Amino acid sequence: MSSTQKYEVLVDSFISKLKRRQITGSYNVATATCRLLMRVISSSRWSSTEEFINLIRGVGCKLIDAQPREFATGNIVRRVLAIIRDEVSEDSVTQSANNAPYNTSMFQLLSTTHTTKPQGTQATKQPNQDLRSVVIQGIRELIDEIASVHENIELMTVDLIHENEVLLTPTPGSQTVLNFLLKASLKRKFTVLITESYPNDINECHSFAKKLAEMNIETVIIPDSTVFAVMSRVGKVLIGARSVFANGGCVTAAGVATVCECAKEHRTPVFAVAGLYKFSPTYPFDRDSLIEVGNSGKVLPYEDSDLVGKCEVTNPLFDYVVPEHIDIYITNIGGFSPNFIYRIVLDNYKAEDVQLG
Amino acid sequence: MSEPTPATVPAPADTKLSNKELKELKKKEKAAKRAAAKVGSSGSESASTRQKESRDSNGKPPTATHIKKQLNSAKIIESDRKVPTMFGHLETREQRISSSPQIASIVHPKILALTLKISTYKIVGSTARCQAMLEAFKDVISSYQTPDNASLQRNLTSHLSHQIEYLKTGRPLSISMGNAIRWLKQRISIIPIDLSDEVAKKQVIEEIDLYIQEKILYSDKVITQFASTHIQDGSKLLTYGHSEVLKKLFKYCAVEENKSFEIYIIDSKPLFEGKKLARELSAVPNIKCHYNLINSLSTILERSDIDFCFLGAHSMLSNGRLYSRVGTAMIAMASKNKNIPVLVCCESMKFSDKVQLDSVTLNELGDSEDVINTKPFVKTGSNLNQFLISLQSKEPKKPQQQGTKKDKKELQLADNESPVLNNWKELKPLNILNVLYDLTPPEYIQKVITELGALPPSSVPVILREYKTNA
Repeated sequence: MSSTQKYEVLVDSFISKLKRRQITGSYNVATATCRLLMRVISSSRWSSTEEFINLIRGVGCKLIDAQPREFATGNIVRRVLAIIRDEVSEDSVTQSANNAPYNTSMFQLLSTTHTTKPQGTQATKQPNQDLRSVVIQGIRELIDEIASVHENIELMTVDLIHENEVLLTPTPGSQTVLNFLLKASLKRKFTVLITESYPNDINECHSFAKKLAEMNIETVIIPDSTVFAVMSRVGKVLIGARSVFANGGCVTAAGVATVCECAKEHRTPVFAVAGLYKFSPTYPFDRDSLIEVGNSGKVLPYEDSDLVGKCEVTNPLFDYVVPEHIDIYITNIGGFSPNFIYRIVLDNYKAEDVQLG
Repeated sequence: MSEPTPATVPAPADTKLSNKELKELKKKEKAAKRAAAKVGSSGSESASTRQKESRDSNGKPPTATHIKKQLNSAKIIESDRKVPTMFGHLETREQRISSSPQIASIVHPKILALTLKISTYKIVGSTARCQAMLEAFKDVISSYQTPDNASLQRNLTSHLSHQIEYLKTGRPLSISMGNAIRWLKQRISIIPIDLSDEVAKKQVIEEIDLYIQEKILYSDKVITQFASTHIQDGSKLLTYGHSEVLKKLFKYCAVEENKSFEIYIIDSKPLFEGKKLARELSAVPNIKCHYNLINSLSTILERSDIDFCFLGAHSMLSNGRLYSRVGTAMIAMASKNKNIPVLVCCESMKFSDKVQLDSVTLNELGDSEDVINTKPFVKTGSNLNQFLISLQSKEPKKPQQQGTKKDKKELQLADNESPVLNNWKELKPLNILNVLYDLTPPEYIQKVITELGALPPSSVPVILREYKTNA
């Protein structure tokens, strides 16, 4: 009893950090979630693997409820669950090779989740200590993977950018895009156009531009409205995704959906860069539930007091980009077309864990 | 150069506007005196009483080339101009004319004031600029006197050309201004030679009045009536920035026709013209105003069932493209992709026989600092800026009082909010692009509403052709 309380304290403090936005950015959230799960696993007690899985699922539900639009937490929890399930099924395979036909992916696609249910109860009396250490080892590897996301994405820069190319990036808040461009500048000479992303990311845009310019990359800051005017001169559009869904769509900073639409109109290729931890196995059925709304005072400051209260003002922070507007996803495990994302997702998550709640 | 009395321009930033106006007034008075003196020195004997007082060094009447040389010599070309290479061909506003006495003798004070207002975006929008210019020309013409051995028909046009030359230094002329100037010069050239100056001037001024009435005021009314049929009770409309004719349209529908509707105003940095429209429309009880920035466009189109997208125009080009405030093309494209009809309201005086295929080849560059600036948009005139800079360079030498020091500290604190790119000009590879217009392809536009009727964008050259003769 005392041990459950112990991990609940950890979870609660993490939840309040999420809610207060003391941890933001999918990269930070992902690593923090990994660390939290590691501590939860090491401090919790359980008698069966099923109980263990349910425990992690419970924690995952709480984390997702705390910040439903931060998909990295859910993704990491699902990844960890997948690790656990892999371990469990591996053990059960050694016991009895009865579920061999499941491994052919085609059938797994069509199978419903409850047929796999009995599998958990079979493996109840496994040595817990072993499982615990194996899972923690798995999470360590996951942390390493997240930490090396940038390096792996950077490996692809040379294949994607040619000499003297003009690139446009509407997501100056993305660290992945910044690293991608900095790495690319070592091999290629190119010009980067950066949209201001006013009002939410304007400071990020300025520091982004400064960093690029200091690396001697030709950098141009353009207002958000100028995108259509310059699109005919742009070679490629590079966006950073906040989270990617199984259908190949993604959520990014506000305004990017229109930029991608412009790119499509001009037949300009759009690249999205994202680490694997941003891939979510869910589908974006309800667009409104994905998009967070921010401080409208940034749109209409109090200097315009004559307008405040008379106009309705909204300041969405994110945008949903449909898969048709994206040509390629560049991830740390390679480049994929948006309509192949479901397969990547299937490789990394278990179908049982898509719905945690 | 900037010799205005230092007493009138103290440092505090909040009183800037009134000071600027004061300064402007003084300048005007001075300029008016000088202009009178100059005209007297070069022209008729009856007006030459003050001729001897003027300290004009050259006694001979100024020829056109001479005046042009003077104008050119007073130009200030800023050397630290930074424009992305792709846009290096575009002319910038950074080529300004300083307010020297020579200039003041050539350029009418009304034009000086107008140039200042246009360059600081106090007067913005092609209709407003055109109207203000024509009003200023009325004053120029009424105070004009034909010099000896010259005819009004020829000399007045060249006199106007100098004014226009100066006006261009504020901002490049809009298409509507260009059209109006062409019309005016043509009208002046066909004044009968036997008409006396007074009568001829009166005639020209009346014609200008008529032009404003017919081409701007009545046109807007007709357009308003045409377009109002699209707005029904409970309609949801989308618009971008600020357009004079659209403002009239929305007000007409809400007030005269008593329709209540919702309007989504999309706005963008750096000019925030939409705020102007929002201010006007939020006061009307029948209109529900929404104000959004361009980055939330997709959310708005997704969430609210917009019925129509109304856009204003800077110009309609003869290949059917709409040349308008930058961002318009994005709005039109996004609306079109959501199957929302895009309607453009445009007076026929804004039609141009130019053809253009993309926004990069011909455009107007704004000031880069406006983009970097994250604080509310306030623009100071170039002369005031120079004066402030000269003031700043002088300042450290003087012993300072306690109060001013404190003020300075506060100012610095306020500046520190965005220190990231304060010195962006020192970063060589960093550029800032601030173009003012973009080009919307005709595919996105459902129809163009003019005072001559509603037509598809492909019919713009027809209008140009049919109405060129009697324009």
